[in-house]
Amino acid sequence: MGIERRNTHPIRIVALLILVACLALFPFVVTNRFYISLVNEMLIYGLLAMSLDVLLGYTGLLSFMHNAYLGIGAYVVGLFLIHVSPSSLWLAILTGMVVTSLISLPVGWVQVRTGGLAFALLTLAFGMMFYTIVWKWYDLTGGDDGLMGVPHPDIHLAGIVLGNSGNPTAMYLLTLCLVLICFFLTWRIIRSPFGAVLEAIRENEERASFVGINVRRYKLYGWMYACMLGSVSGALFILYRGYIGPTTMSAFAGAGVLMMVLVGGMGSLWGPIVGAGIFIFIQDYISTMTEHWELFV
Amino acid sequence: MTTILSTKGLHKHFGGVLAVNDVDVEFQSNCLRSIIGPNGAGKTTFINVITGKLSASSGAVLFGEQDITNRPGHRLVRLGICRTFQITSIFMGLTVFENVRIATQSRLGGSLRIFSAKESLKAVNRKTWKILDRLGMETKADVPSNNLAHGDQRLLEVAMALAGNPKILFLDEPTAGMSPAETEHIAKLIKGLTDTIAVVLVEHDMDVVMSISDEITVLNQGSVIAEGPPREIQNNDLVKEAYLGHA
Repeated sequence: MGIERRNTHPIRIVALLILVACLALFPFVVTNRFYISLVNEMLIYGLLAMSLDVLLGYTGLLSFMHNAYLGIGAYVVGLFLIHVSPSSLWLAILTGMVVTSLISLPVGWVQVRTGGLAFALLTLAFGMMFYTIVWKWYDLTGGDDGLMGVPHPDIHLAGIVLGNSGNPTAMYLLTLCLVLICFFLTWRIIRSPFGAVLEAIRENEERASFVGINVRRYKLYGWMYACMLGSVSGALFILYRGYIGPTTMSAFAGAGVLMMVLVGGMGSLWGPIVGAGIFIFIQDYISTMTEHWELFV
Repeated sequence: MTTILSTKGLHKHFGGVLAVNDVDVEFQSNCLRSIIGPNGAGKTTFINVITGKLSASSGAVLFGEQDITNRPGHRLVRLGICRTFQITSIFMGLTVFENVRIATQSRLGGSLRIFSAKESLKAVNRKTWKILDRLGMETKADVPSNNLAHGDQRLLEVAMALAGNPKILFLDEPTAGMSPAETEHIAKLIKGLTDTIAVVLVEHDMDVVMSISDEITVLNQGSVIAEGPPREIQNNDLVKEAYLGHA
């Protein structure tokens, strides 16, 4: 794993601002709904891939089915909008984050007792468990029909109503906003003393514990943070699609998320987002030509 | 001299193999105690049990009056029981400075701050530089630790152990694979540590052991067969037999 540059060069900040401006202006320049939705999906999966990289690239923990936490977040937000309040957008997202974190706590508590391959296999086991629950619990989740009829709440950003979440441009701007916030928060966190502890665990668990770090506890914190970020991508997913089915939580989809991180490069935050962009593009573009699109990833 | 740490009837077995057999040892402050013995005598296992890497089968480890048997390693570090490993164990992908900084941070606190930059922990930075200066590694602070020479990596591990503010420091073969010059440097350094703390040295280099130890404990097949100052140990018949076999 490489050494990271600590100092942020002004050119990098300018480049980042230009990139953000381009992304923000994108739906007003390219008005084709298909492309707006495509980039929207890239950003949502980019956020999920970035959250997986907090585990894989920074804490050194491999999760095969991080999409499970996108799924849990999405189902919770969807169910909240259907059964509790169809218009409370921010409350729904917050509920999704809290519930997903609470679910990830006992799962993580078990998982951090292992490391390496055993950890990875446990993520697969729990992922399949959640997948099966969603599949079988027909009354709550709609089973293999998926969760349908999720209402489209209005999107308020800084006091302005952009339209409801069924509007691609409004949804795109909400996604961009939340992804940027999550990116910035995560960027701060990995450069904090807490992030340094995660890196130490990635490099050498035994040594970390013998300089006085409670390795299990910090692995659990890292795990819960990654799951919480995953649930934000889940919230955006359900708002954007208005629908989620169990296949989104399948092991196959989980491998896709892992692929995004590997394509983009782990150990950086923007890498997995780029990786997700490439992956989604190939998936959408090449699957129109051949059903064996996975070959091209 | 006060006793910092002691073991009472300590046992460790792996299945039928008794690796540590009823060992009573006392470690005094400001004292350099070496643990020697032929290969497979149980030296490293003994240290692993004390420092919480392995659990004891029976017996007790006392830190002062406090029973610390089978406590996890990271909690023992907070009491001031630090160690290095026989096989170099450092954070390979991080710089020398970051290696020591993280060790210092976990001792001084601040690991749960998530929004401040890690460079902002001033006390941690100061202490990290102090330790690097003390070991003469300040010019290598920015070097990735996997690019260091082997001897410097061993030294870095000592630096990380010192960052834990040890009251007692266990060094498991610190000079393994070092050049004679490096060995001399680290031997001097280890001896200097006993001004303030207790040091326990597991070592195969007899020149080092005999020249800097205050006390020596000899293990053979898991049991203590001799204990005393270097001169006494050199003339002990049981020790000669353990190393060389019957005459």
